[in-house]
Amino acid sequence: MTSAQERSDLMGKLGLNMQNRAAIGRLLNSGNVGEAKEREDGRMTATIRINPDELTWDPQILVMPHGGDIELELINDDLNTHCALLPSNGDRKFIWLVNHSRGRATLNLDGPGCYWYSSPTGNDEGRGLTGAIVVLGDVPPEARLDRPDQPRP
Amino acid sequence: MTVDYVDAGEAIDQGDLSGKHGTAPPVVEGVTYERILEARSEPENWLTYYGAYNGQRFSPLDQINTENVKRIGPAWVFQAGTSGMIAGASTYAFEAAPIVVDGIMFVSGWDGWVWALNAATGNEIWRYKHATPYDVSLCCGNVNRGVAVAKGKVFSVTPNAHLIALDASTGKKVWDRTYGDVRAGESATCAPLIVKNMVIVGSSGGEFGVRGHLDAFDLDSGEHQWRCYMVPKPGEPGSDTWPDGEAWTRGGGNCWLTGTFDPETNLLYWGTGNPAPDFDGEVREGDNLYTDSIVAVDADAGEIRWHYQCTPHDVWDYDSISECILFEHEGRKLLGHFDKNGYFFVVDRTDGELVRITPFVDRIDWGNITRDGKVTPSRYPEKEGEPVHFFPGPAGAKEWTHAAYSPETELFYVPVQDVGATATRRRREFKESIPYWGAGVQVDIDDMTGYVSAFDANGDEKWRWRGELPMCASVLATGGGLVFAGEPTGFYNALDARTGEHLWRFQCGSGHHSSPVTYGVDGRQFIAVPVGWGGWAEGFLPGMLGAGHGSALIVFALPE
Repeated sequence: MTSAQERSDLMGKLGLNMQNRAAIGRLLNSGNVGEAKEREDGRMTATIRINPDELTWDPQILVMPHGGDIELELINDDLNTHCALLPSNGDRKFIWLVNHSRGRATLNLDGPGCYWYSSPTGNDEGRGLTGAIVVLGDVPPEARLDRPDQPRP
Repeated sequence: MTVDYVDAGEAIDQGDLSGKHGTAPPVVEGVTYERILEARSEPENWLTYYGAYNGQRFSPLDQINTENVKRIGPAWVFQAGTSGMIAGASTYAFEAAPIVVDGIMFVSGWDGWVWALNAATGNEIWRYKHATPYDVSLCCGNVNRGVAVAKGKVFSVTPNAHLIALDASTGKKVWDRTYGDVRAGESATCAPLIVKNMVIVGSSGGEFGVRGHLDAFDLDSGEHQWRCYMVPKPGEPGSDTWPDGEAWTRGGGNCWLTGTFDPETNLLYWGTGNPAPDFDGEVREGDNLYTDSIVAVDADAGEIRWHYQCTPHDVWDYDSISECILFEHEGRKLLGHFDKNGYFFVVDRTDGELVRITPFVDRIDWGNITRDGKVTPSRYPEKEGEPVHFFPGPAGAKEWTHAAYSPETELFYVPVQDVGATATRRRREFKESIPYWGAGVQVDIDDMTGYVSAFDANGDEKWRWRGELPMCASVLATGGGLVFAGEPTGFYNALDARTGEHLWRFQCGSGHHSSPVTYGVDGRQFIAVPVGWGGWAEGFLPGMLGAGHGSALIVFALPE
C-alpha cells in the first residue's frame, strides 16, 4: 500500500511512469500537469509537446480555468510520427504530427469536466499518448437548479 | 545545429477525412408547427419523435404488408462506429428514433453525435459531434433518443445537458443553451419536441438526487421561455406530499423522455421519473408529487394543469416516463400509458380522470392497484439491509422503449419485460453528483421472459407473441397491417397486427434498444432500425450484459 505522498516515488521506482519498464507502455496519465494561460479576451492558450521516446503528452493533463476557446501549439519532438485527435464542439480536431513538426489546433469546450485527447495511430493511445483536458468552473447560473446549495463530496 | 520544425498546419475536423458530402438540401426550411400538426398526412416523412404528436408510432405506409414482408431485406447500412475514449465507453447504446424529411434522415447517436444521411442510400452528408466530458454523470449509459427538426434547424440535447440547434443543411451550430447542471448530476437524453415556436426538453439525472424539470426555448433565438419543475418547492401545490426538510430539493421526477401534445387541449402530456432516493422511501414520507406521474402541462404557460400519479411514494424505481399515447374511444379524448409498474392506465386527457387500469404483465407482486386506482404496496425495501424480491424489477414491465397504437386495428402493441429484482435498502447521505439510490439492487438473470402483447382500449389482451427474452425495444405499427419488434438477441421481427402471427425476421447482429421508424423515398418504403445494444442492460436484462454493442443503422425495404 502507498499513500498519496509516496505515489510519485513509487511510480518511478516501479517504472510505471516510463516506457517498457513496468508495463509495456507508460501508465496513462502518469505525466505532467499544466495550466492553460488566459488572455485578456478570455481565450486560452497552451503548448503540448511529445518528448523523444516518452510516448506521452507534456503536459498529459492540461487544465483550462473555464470553458471556451483554447488555442494549442502542438510540438512533436519525437523521432517518430504521431498525430492528435482532440475534443471540440462540432467535430473532433485531427492533425498529423510527423517527426520534428509543429502544428496548431483551436478547440471549443463548453463546460466543466474531463475531456480526452490522443494520438490515434498504431497503439499510441495504449502506450501513453492519451491525455486529458480538464475544464474548471460551473455551468451558467441560469442552468442551475432552483434549490439551496447542496453538499458535495 | 538547429533544425526548423516541419509546419504541421492547423488541425482540421475529423469528419473532413470521412468521405461525407457536405451539404443537405434545404428540406427542413419548410417544416413548421402547422406541418408537424398534420405529420401523418405526409406518410413518406417521419417529422417528429413519435411520428405524430399523438405518440402512436403508427405510419399509414402500406407498401410493405403482411403478404410481402417476408421479401424485405437490408437496403443499406450506416455504421456509426466510435473512436477515442467516450463517456460510458462500455454502456453506450444506439437508442434513437430517426427523423426523415423529404429524403434526408437526421439521426443522433450517443455522446452528442448527430448525422444527416441520404435516406435512400445511407450516404453520410454531414455530422456534428459535441465534445462530451468523459466524467459526466450518466445513470444508465451514454445514450440519446433522437432529434427534432423545424424551420431549417435540427435540435438535439447532449449528455452534458446542452440543447443545441444546428443548421439542417450544414450541421453547423446555430445556438447552444445549457439547461442542466452537470456538477449536480444532471444530464440530457431525450429527443426534443417542437410545439408552436418552442423546443421542449426534459432533464435526466433522477438517480443523482436532482429536481426534475421541463424547459421550453424559442426555436429561432434559443431564448428560454419557461421551466416547469416536477417537484414543488415548499408552499407550492403538491408540496404537502413531501416531508419538511430538504427531501424536495433532491426529489427526482425527471422528464427524461419525450412527451406528446394535443393542440385542442393545448396540453403537453409528459411522464415523470422516479423520486430520489429510488428505494429509500423513509427519508421522503408522502406521495412525493409529481414523481411517477402523468402530468398535463399548459404549453404556453409551462404550468401543470392536472396530474395522475401512477405509483405514489415509489420505492421500486417505477418511473412513469413512458409515452402518453393519445387516442379517441367512444367519443372520449383519452390517453393510454403503459407504466413501469406493470399497469396500463387509460385516463381522460382533458382532465386526468381515471378511466381504466389493467395489468399488462403476468407477474406483479410489488403491490396491487384496484380498478378505481387504489394502490396497496406489499413487497418493498423497508428495513435496512433486508433483501426484498419483487416483480417487475426496476426497469419495469415496460422500460422506456415505446408501445404503438394502430388506429386501423384500434389496438395497442406493447413490448413487455417480465423480470424481477432484489433490492436491499442501504441508506446513504446525499452528496451532489454521487448516485443516490438508497439500496443495492440485483436484477434476476434467469426466470425471465418477454412478449409483445396487443391490447384494446378496454384493456383486453387480444394476442401475445412470445420472445425468448424480455422485449427492450420500441415497437412500430404500420398501415401494412404489421407490427415490427426487435429482440435483445438481435432478431428484428414483423408480426401480423391483427393476429400476432410471426411473419419475418432478420438477425441484425446486436440487440435492439431503439425506436425504429418507417418512411418513403420516391415511392419506396423503408424501415429504419438503429441497432446497438447497451444502456442500462444490468437493469433490464443483465443476462445479456456481455452481448456485443453494435452501432449500425440498418434500413430494410422490398427489392427494387
